[in-house]
This record gives sequence, structure tokens and C-alpha cells, in this order.
Amino acid sequence: MSSTSSTISSIRVSARTSRAGRIAGVLGRQPLLVVGIIVVIIWIIAALLASQIAPFEPLAQDVRNRVQPPSAAHLGGTDELGRDVFSRVLYGGRITIPAGILVIVFGSLLGSAMGALAGFLGGIWDEVIMRISELFMAFPTIILAMAVTAALGPDIRNAIIALVVVWWPGYARLMRGLVLKVKSNDYVEAAYCVGAPRRYILLRTIIPNCIASVLVMTTLDIGNAILTFAGLSFLGLGPEPTSPEWGRMIAVGIDYFDQWWTWLYPGFAIASLVIAFNFIGDGLRDIFDPRLR
Amino acid sequence: MKSGRLLLLIMIITVLVTGVVAAQDETVLVIGHAESTDSLDPARGYTQTKDIIDHVTYENLVTFPQADASEILPMLATDWTISEDGLTYTFNLRGDAVFSDGSPVTADDVAFSVNRLKYVQGSPSFLAADIASVTADDADTVSFTLTQINPAFLANLANTAFGVVNADVVRENGGSDAEDAATADTAEAYLNGTSAGSGPYLLESWEPQVETVLVRNPNFYGDAPYFDRIIITNIPEAATQKVALESGEIDLALDLTSDQIAPLEGNPAISIYRGPGNIVHFLLMNEDPDIGGPVSDPLVQRAIRLALDYEGYQALWGGVQPGSITFVGNAYAFTPEQGVKRNLDEARALLAQAGYADGFDITLEYPIFTFQGVNMETNAQKIQADLAEVGINVTLSPAELQVALENYRTGAEGFGYWFWGPDILDAIDMLAFLPGGKVADERALWTPDRADAALNDLVARARVATDPAEREEVFTALQASMQENSPFAPFIQPDVQTAFRSDIEGYVWHPQWLLDVALLSRSM
Amino acid sequence: MTFFRYIARRVLFTIPILLGITLVSFLIANAVPADPINVNLPQSQLNNPEIVAAFRAEWGLDKTPVEQYLTYLGNLAQGNLGRSIKTRQPVAEDIARFLPATIELATNATALGIILGVGLGVASAVWRNQWIDFAARTLAVIGVSVPVFVLALIFLSVFHAQLGIAAGPGRLDFTMDEPAMLTGLFTIDSLAAGRLDIFANAVAHLVLPSLVLALYVAGLISRVTRSSMLEVLGMDYMRTARAKGVRESLVVMRHGLSNALIPILTVIGLSYGNLLAGAVLTESIFAWPGIGRYMFRASTSQDFPAIMGVSLLIALIYVVVNLVVDLLYYFVDPRIRAN
Repeated sequence: MSSTSSTISSIRVSARTSRAGRIAGVLGRQPLLVVGIIVVIIWIIAALLASQIAPFEPLAQDVRNRVQPPSAAHLGGTDELGRDVFSRVLYGGRITIPAGILVIVFGSLLGSAMGALAGFLGGIWDEVIMRISELFMAFPTIILAMAVTAALGPDIRNAIIALVVVWWPGYARLMRGLVLKVKSNDYVEAAYCVGAPRRYILLRTIIPNCIASVLVMTTLDIGNAILTFAGLSFLGLGPEPTSPEWGRMIAVGIDYFDQWWTWLYPGFAIASLVIAFNFIGDGLRDIFDPRLR
Repeated sequence: MKSGRLLLLIMIITVLVTGVVAAQDETVLVIGHAESTDSLDPARGYTQTKDIIDHVTYENLVTFPQADASEILPMLATDWTISEDGLTYTFNLRGDAVFSDGSPVTADDVAFSVNRLKYVQGSPSFLAADIASVTADDADTVSFTLTQINPAFLANLANTAFGVVNADVVRENGGSDAEDAATADTAEAYLNGTSAGSGPYLLESWEPQVETVLVRNPNFYGDAPYFDRIIITNIPEAATQKVALESGEIDLALDLTSDQIAPLEGNPAISIYRGPGNIVHFLLMNEDPDIGGPVSDPLVQRAIRLALDYEGYQALWGGVQPGSITFVGNAYAFTPEQGVKRNLDEARALLAQAGYADGFDITLEYPIFTFQGVNMETNAQKIQADLAEVGINVTLSPAELQVALENYRTGAEGFGYWFWGPDILDAIDMLAFLPGGKVADERALWTPDRADAALNDLVARARVATDPAEREEVFTALQASMQENSPFAPFIQPDVQTAFRSDIEGYVWHPQWLLDVALLSRSM
Repeated sequence: MTFFRYIARRVLFTIPILLGITLVSFLIANAVPADPINVNLPQSQLNNPEIVAAFRAEWGLDKTPVEQYLTYLGNLAQGNLGRSIKTRQPVAEDIARFLPATIELATNATALGIILGVGLGVASAVWRNQWIDFAARTLAVIGVSVPVFVLALIFLSVFHAQLGIAAGPGRLDFTMDEPAMLTGLFTIDSLAAGRLDIFANAVAHLVLPSLVLALYVAGLISRVTRSSMLEVLGMDYMRTARAKGVRESLVVMRHGLSNALIPILTVIGLSYGNLLAGAVLTESIFAWPGIGRYMFRASTSQDFPAIMGVSLLIALIYVVVNLVVDLLYYFVDPRIRAN
């Protein structure tokens, strides 16, 4: 395929130039990746600087100025208790973004560890770990998360725990497959032959060869985790009611259908952030797996 | 192109849909309602959904006027006498009333229904608690003996819980009025599927959380109602009710919030009813220090009453500040002007006096529930903000209604937010919130031994007082006392509002049964 | 016959998974801290020890968890899922009542999603790195990124409330009678009853919620279709076909798509299973009386027989969908047949 080979050769060519130039070259071929990175950075900055940027306190109520449409004073209008929607959306990133990242971090760590063990040890360990992961995968994400939060009680921490419980099997399966593939490589066989300890082989030889694929999967997954977290929150199974969490804000919008600004802005926030994360994930996958470009 | 075909398909569908002419021969009324009941059995259900349905499928001995509870009117009974000692009531039945199967309504049916209510231990059974016995003297005469004088007994009888059921039919389907009816009676499933009463309508089907269908009772002995068929469709989301009302899919929306009704104002196709309600939203503070913690302290309880932004809640929902725990408009009830005024300095001083100068942390429990357009979650957030101003740090703990009820009912709730609709449309209703009453004793653990003797004496007098002057004196003293010292903080009595299609006539809001669908008709 | 042995083996494999699922759902249902007695009995009956004891016995609450689990399995073996505490109906009946609504919605959405998704994916792969590819991929990302509950609110507010060109929430207009129960799928039942008006109404009500879900499904499918097609289009036999002068469109559809089908089928099966179970967000906004809403209510009201029943059902659906996908592999991929 001409275009595929040209991609590969262009990467090879750029490899000879400076590191910065190489990155610029890759990014130049990935406009969506650039857009994604910019949008995510904007949201992270907005969340970090919310207390400086936001014109109002996210929790400050003013019931005499409630459900006002957007105006100069309230760029995003006000919600049912007279809180400033724009300020709340800015602060919302402080909850949703870390929540999504935490889910992926813990889910991928737990899952990768399980998968690596299963793949590396094989035998009965493999069977047990994989059967357990299949059990969890048989429940759809939101249903399992709903059941877990129902058991633990709704709050942010439990929502994250529920999502980790849902998330790890995907990584376990990915990691197991990768480990099995790497294990059969010559250099691993060689390590065995020279009598390297098993722990050394796993940690120094096998895992480093799997990390890139796991990382690509995590970026592809963050958007999904954010979506699911917001969905739980929408159902009332996440942070407490006052919280300016985006899913929560949209849920209130169900009662305030005509007052579109109460739910459309937080909706736009989630959508833009998740789109951005997906652009990044797709872009990274293309770079690491140029065959599919 | 595929997308072209899809578009075409959608267009064809749209044409089909708009082209279908609803050729209906029968008159149908469709009501959108957030259904909230677990039973339509008169002796078991105790919710407003059940009231709306059972009010037209069953009849009572006595009833209220169409729009209020100002007097007691005959219904199945034509007249009644009360004995000298006030303990025996004798009713004469009208004699021509028949059930939906055509059989006559007799004194036996009345006795069966009342005993069944009493012994079945359903949610409304407490209404029959002070009935010592009920006997059918002859086919058209029934008499009740009470264990104590109850000035509100007749008002009680107007509750749908006392709806008279067809004893033979209910017995055939597992009904029992014996003392062990709580376990022996198995007629609930039958009564959830059809009705066995003498009202103008007959329950055709109830599919929980989906819809309830009423059809005209073919054997109704009174004037036939206008609509052949009433569909009460379950639409839990108020916003959906609004959209459905605007598009004409439903005729009546019962659960809209004031924010949803506001944009309907200018719509000529829609009429709006707005009027004072009788639901009081209140905070409950447990008297037991182990459960309530800081809020069991009377000083803190008063401070919380002083800290609430009463006008703010009116800005949210309309309506008035309840002058006391009983609704404004009830007999002898305090007016809004007599209610507690917000005073943050005094509240802070009281907290300091109680040893909480720096405030304290507390969890507020409440159900996730929107009742008559009032979203309790919105109020809970406002309570949190109000109390933060005097240093009380509130954590919100919402739960699904049935789950939240659990702690409330067992008295395990330290700090809760609930609302109260009167059981009995009489001043005596407020006794539920005083020591010896249901809410005070069982929910707030404000039992007679926790209250002082003077208050217990006042309550005892209020229970049996019949002379208007004495009642006024006693109930006024009780309300004044509760403002100073009680584990309750009533904060809003919202307006009620209903929106309906303009061609619907005869809409009347009723404080007891909300809506009498038999009064409605459609103008041509 | 190998085909039947293949099926038999697959079915046999599902049994331990199903058993495990009953265990997991039982554990989850029992992890709920509250006592169902208080939630499910009226106050007046709580003080009556006889009634409380009867209730405990009826639901098996008086036994140890192990006994409860074994009782549950025993009942399950007889097809008895228990009785929902909240609706007081047998869970199996509840499921029979709510599942068809979900099946109807999920099937429509998936069908729509396949048409859109495969179309976009193929176009994307064929016109790789051209503006069509760019647009299709962007659309796909948007499809999988916009939360369904936001999309549902936007669609309802624009197409139903503002423009009035689409039917609103619910499966039918509120005045429309449900067709006589046959399959529970209103579109089929209405046709069977010869009621075109009900059919049209049911279809109209399906449009918006199906579209909301279909955009998500299409996003998933088109992404997989594109990458799978790209992989296949680069294969030698494709070049051979072209070299033999086969028409390009035929190359793409016949040789390309059919060989790229396996990953596409997998993602379709996965998303169909997900929709059958996890459409709770869409269902709650569109007042769709489906299994997702039923599960949501059950899990917030500690209705553990319902939670377990639905979990089991959903897992079963997953297993069946996976089985069907595997069988399709069998037909699509000659290599599996050979094994």
C-alpha cells in the first residue's frame, strides 16, 4: 500500500531529525490529535483555575434570581437555585476529569496485574483469573456499576470503586494476550535459558514490552470512563446533589427542559472533553499502529 | 443512497402518523401522573394516587363538598345520630345504592369494610384504631362505637380508606374482616386488578408504573359521569408530562413544577389552576441524643427554625410559610404572619448557648421525590445553604422513597426532611406532631415522657375538646409552644398547580382526594 | 456432525459462567446493607411479629446466606425467579412485561446503527485519508462521545418539543391502546392484529430513542469497520481480485466486507447485548418501560429478587449473543469450519 509505506518511511525519515521536529512531524499528520490535546488542556486549565476564572462561587445560591437565561452577568444563566451555570461548569472539570483518570489508572493497574499474572503463570492461575474476569464482563458496565453503588451507597468514591470493578477485566484480557505473545519471543526464551529468575523476566523483559499497548488503550478509554461516570452521576449514583458535577447538572435539567441552559452547557462540556480524549486516543493508536491509517 | 432511503422512510412514517385519524367513539380522558402507590385496595393503599382512583371507584358513608372540607355531607348514609356521650354513631343508609355488580350496598358491607380496614393492618388502618366495634343493626342501619371521643370521626370516615367494598365479592376473592385479617386476608391482588365498590367508575386494569384504566360503572345508580374511560398514565418525569400536555397527548398534568407551568401561561390551549395547598414541608430532629446528636438539643432545634430562609422557599415554589406544623387554612391554624421569622443572629446566639459556637456537622436524610411539583432535592440543597450561614455543616443523604422511609418509620433518623399531608382535615391532625402522636412518638421519639407535664395536659385536652372556644384556646397554645420547643421546623406550604387542556371543564382541586375525575367533562 | 458438536461445546461452556453469575448477583444483592423488612412492609405491620416472621419466611430471609443461595438455585432450576418485592409480581412476569420494550428499542437501534455504521466505515476505508474519511471518522468519534442522555434531551427538545415533528416519550401515544399481546413487540403485534394505526404510532415513537442509541452504535461499528476493512483491503487476494479486473465496488463489497466481517460482528454483538441491558439512561429519559428502568428501580429500592433476576437474564443475553456471534463466525470464516 503506497500511503502506508509512505507513512512508515516518513516516520523513519523524521526519526533522523531532532526529537522536537519529529514530534512536530507526527502531530502535523494528526490534526485531530492536536485538536484533542488543545481541548483537553483547555479543560484542565479551566478546572485548575476555576477559582480565578469563575465569576461566582459554584455553590452560591440566589433563589430570587433563579432559572435566568444567559446574560452578561451570568454567561451560562442560572440554575434552579440561582447558581451560576458557567461557574459550575468550570468547577465541574475538577470532579469529572480526575474521576475518569482515577478509574482508568486503578482499573488498568489492577487489570494489567491480573492479566500479567494469568498470562505469565498460566495453568490454574490463568483459568481462575480469566473465568472471574469473564464473569464481570458478562454484566454490562452500567448495570454492574449500578448494583455496586446500590450496595455501597452513592458517593464519588463508591462510583469510582464501582467503575474500577467494571473496568479491570478489559485490561486483564489485553495484558494476558500481550504477555502470551511476548513470552513466546526468542529473547524471553533466551532469558529463561540463561537462568534469569522468573520475577526478573516478568518485570524486566515482558512487562516493558507490553506497556505501550496498555497506554494506548488507556487513552482510548478515558473518554469512556468519563461518560460512564457522568451516566452514574446522572442517575444519582455519583457525587452529592449540590456538587457541580456535569452529569448531576444534566440530570437536574430533566425537570428544567425548557430552561435549556441548565443542561446544555454541562452536556457540551462532557461531549467536548470526551471527543477530545477520543481524538487523542485515536491519534496515538494511529501513531503506534500506522498500518491502520 | 441509503441515507436518502432512510429519510424517505421517516417521511412516510410521519405522513402515516399524522394521517391516522383517531376515530374514537368513546369519550376518553387521559391524565398524566407520577404514580406513587403500592396498592389500590382501600384498606391498604395510603397515597394520593390511590385516593384519586378509589374516590371514584368506591363510596363512603359521608363525604366532603366538591372543593373543600368545610362540612360533612351524606353519601352512602342519608343521615346519622350521635349518642349523648359522643361514643356511638348510628348511620341510616340510602338503600338504593348498588355495587358495580348490581347487588345492593347493605349495612353488612359497611361493617365488613370497616372491620377489614381495622384488622388488615395496612398503611391507613390507624384511621380505624379508635373504633371499638361496628355492627349492622339491620340492612340499612349501621352503628359505630368508639373507644374515646373523636371530634374528627366523621371527617375520618370521608377518607378513601373507609370506602365501602362489596363484602360478598371480596370474601369470595380471599377477603377477611376477622381479627387475623392481617395474615388471613388475601384479597389485595384481586382489588388491585378490579374494584368492588359503588362509585361512578370501575377499575378496569392497573399496570403498576405504567397505567391505570377506569371505565364507567354500568350499574352506577347516580348520574353517569361524562367520560366513558379514564386513563391515568404513569409519567414520572414532570418535564415529560409538560411536553405531553402541550402536544395534547394528555388532558391533565398533575405533577408540574411552577417552573414548568410558567411558560404555559400564554398558551391558549392550556388552562392553569393555581391555589393554596395543604402540604407542609418540615425538618425532623430526633429527640434522642444518641440518634439526633446536636439536633436533639431544644436550643439547636429553635436555632434551626430561626435560620431557615422562609421567603426563599416561597421564591422557589410560591405558596406561604406555614405558621405552624399544621397547614394554613386548617381550623385554628396560625397564619403565615404568626410563623417564625428568620433571625440569623439569634440563631447563632442560641447555638453558642447550646455549646456549638463553631457549629457542627450533621447528615440530612430525605427521599428522592417530587411531590406535587415540589422537588425535595432542590429544597434540601437550600436547607444546606441556609444552615451553612449559622455554621451548621449539612451533608445531604438522599435515598429512594421506600428506602428513606425505612429510617423515618423506625425512628432511626437523626435529621430528616419530609412533608406532611393531613390525614384528617381537622385541627386534631396536628396532634400527630405532639407527644403521643404518630410522627412525634415514632419518628422524632418525642414521647410523652420526654415532654413536660403541662404540654401533655394540653395534648390530652386537645384530643377530646369539642367546644369551639376551648379548642381555639388549646390549639393556639399548642402551636405557640411548638414554635418555642419542638423537634420540627415547618418551612414551606407550596401552592398547588395543575395544568390541563382548555377544553376540559369542571376541574376542582380537593384537599383530600386531589381530583374528582367524575366531575370532569370536555366541551365541544 | 461437527456443527452440532461445536454448538454443544459452546453451550456446555456457558453453564459454569451462568452459575458464577448467579453467585455474583447474589453477593451484590446481599451486600445491600438495609433490612428489606423495613422497606417493604407498612409501618403498621412492622410491629406485628407474626407478619414480620411470615415475610421473612416468604423471602427466605430467616435462613443463612448459604441456605438462601441454595434455595435460590433450587427455585431457579424450576424456572422460578422469585417475586419482586417492589412490584409484588413474579420477577419472571415482570421481565416478560418489560423486556419486549427493550428488545424492540435495541433491535431497531442496532439495525439503524449497522446501516449507518457499516456505510460510514466502508466509505471511510475506501476513500482513506480523503475528506470523506475525515468527516466519517469525526462523525464516528462524536457518536461515541456525546453522552446518550445529552443527545436524548437535545433530540426531545428540538424534534419533539420545539419542532413537533417527532413523537415523544413512551412506546405509544397515551390514548392509543396496546395491541393484543403476542410477542410484546408493538410493531409486530400491531401488524399481526392488522392495526396499521398502532403500527405507525409505535414506529413513530421508536424513531427518536432509536436514533439516539443508533448514533452511538454507528460510531462503534464504523470505527471497527474502517480498521477491519483497511486490513483486508491490503491483503494479497484483494490485489489479485483487482488484478483480475473485478469491478472495484464488487471487490470492496464481496471480497473486502465479507472478509472484514468478523470484528464487525463481534462489535455488533457486544453493543446489542449492551443495549438490551444498559439502555437505562435512554429509557429513563424517553419514559420507555424497559428492563433498564426496571433494573434501576430495583437497585435503588433494594429489591434483591429483581436485581438477581435481571442480572441473570442480562448475563444470559450476553452469553446467547456471544454464542450467536460465534455461530456466525462459523459460517463467515471457513478456517473455523475446518477446525
